[in-house]
Amino acid sequence: MRVLVVDPDPARAALVAEGLAGVEPLEVRHAAVFDRREAAVFEPDVIVVASDSPDRDTIESLREATAVNPRPVVMFVDRSEPGFAEEAVLAGVSAYVVDGFSRARVRSVLEVAMSRFQLMNQLRQDLQKAQADLVSRKSVDRAKALLMKERGLDEEAAYRLLRKLSMDTGRPLGAVAVDLLAFAGVLKGNDR
Amino acid sequence: MSPRLRLGFIALNDAATMIAAREKGFFAAEGLEVELSREVSWATIRDKVNVGALDGAHMLAPMALATSLGAAGGEPTSLIAPLALNLNGPAITLSSRLAGAIAPGTDAGGLARLVARRREEGASPITLAVVFPFSVHNYLLRDWLARAGIDPDRDVRLTVAPPSRMTELLVEGVVEGFCVTEPWGAAAAAAGAGLIAARGSELWPRTPDKVFAVTEAWATENPEALQALLRAMLQGAAWADAPENRPALAAMLAEPHYVGADARVIEQSLAGMLFHAGGASAPWPVHAGWLLSQMMRWAHIAPDVDIAATARRVYRPDLQAAAAGALGMPALQIPDLLQGFGDDGAFRLDGAQAYAQRARLSRVAEA
Repeated sequence: MRVLVVDPDPARAALVAEGLAGVEPLEVRHAAVFDRREAAVFEPDVIVVASDSPDRDTIESLREATAVNPRPVVMFVDRSEPGFAEEAVLAGVSAYVVDGFSRARVRSVLEVAMSRFQLMNQLRQDLQKAQADLVSRKSVDRAKALLMKERGLDEEAAYRLLRKLSMDTGRPLGAVAVDLLAFAGVLKGNDR
Repeated sequence: MSPRLRLGFIALNDAATMIAAREKGFFAAEGLEVELSREVSWATIRDKVNVGALDGAHMLAPMALATSLGAAGGEPTSLIAPLALNLNGPAITLSSRLAGAIAPGTDAGGLARLVARRREEGASPITLAVVFPFSVHNYLLRDWLARAGIDPDRDVRLTVAPPSRMTELLVEGVVEGFCVTEPWGAAAAAAGAGLIAARGSELWPRTPDKVFAVTEAWATENPEALQALLRAMLQGAAWADAPENRPALAAMLAEPHYVGADARVIEQSLAGMLFHAGGASAPWPVHAGWLLSQMMRWAHIAPDVDIAATARRVYRPDLQAAAAGALGMPALQIPDLLQGFGDDGAFRLDGAQAYAQRARLSRVAEA
């Protein structure tokens, strides 16, 4: 397990390492300031950051912008913010927030965060795929309608033509449909 | 009993409206006990507003819009923006070294040539920083690059860093430029680390930037407290705008528990910023529409989002107008047209979707 602890104070990293003692293999790295390149090389399984760290936006942007390799983030809230941690956990807000920090809880907190992150990630991917499928199906329907109108084909023949184009070019059916619609738009002068 | 309220802010010039309302006693005069809580990240501001740990906050306008759409991470939470906090805050700064290699300006053509040369040489792409993915700064910088034919997703590397650390990152060479709200552009220039290449107002006249945001639920439950907050902040904004108050405002913001930068740098960087004058404090739905169309252009929101409806749901000029009316401030027309925006120089809320599709390098078709 690779853990990156971003905190100006090295004490929390030491605590994480102690709390994870017995986990093999284990590498806990401490960074006072989050560095994107270092993090990319290290490839942490989980990132631990204090909720009052200015680096939170940077860490969060990795999840937003580069969906390629998102990481679960465990965020620790200071005790001076009563209630925030509980509320945030209940609301399912962005990261995983725990009030206070003890050696005994480190392992369970990190494990829960990681498994929950994987679950959320899977759900998000499923949703994105479902949305993409829907968009693709709409494009295919529109391209079919266009071919039926312009080439006088029936629905079956229009679909076969699209599938042939897809196979000939080695591109997905949805992409071929989008291209066809775009080109048809240009030919009709709808380029604005 | 006066209500106790907690409002969050980030160390930037456009927190001025809230800070002046507190320091000049406008909150107290409205019977409000307001604690201003300095936060260090936008993600924390968003989370705290969403769960009620803050009653309201200084917020990036695109963040308020994205949060309401559920696009900014976490569960969708309906936020409203009953007040705009400033215009003309952002600036694009380039490192002195980079600025020396090109002729920087409102046009990024020089940068485009350098980007092409670096690619031919196989050098690493130029890294530029913004403050958050859903920020005016990200979209302003992207538009500036795209106008010169630079693809912000492929030709350069965009990264996120905290505003107050931008100068340090520039000096260390971690980033070669950034787009951030003042005073941090002026601070980098004053430190000799960078040069302001373009101001927001040169690209998007009367550049919209931060808003005051609360959850719709809080606004519904606390209509009187909200109006009292808005009245106090409108007076704070009007005070902050007055030229004779700018030196005092700069000194106020310079305090370490507020912005924590040099007072002279802050005063100089406040020059073009508007907090109230000419309707600057009114949240124009057309501004929200412009930002949403940029978000759609770069495929940061789904292509089927109803921009006009979202803009009108989140931006609430009616609430600002009610507070302004109670103070006897004149009612101003809310335009639905932005002059000087977009490819044909006039952006309309009802044309937002079409603009997002035809804007240069638009990713709408890929979404």
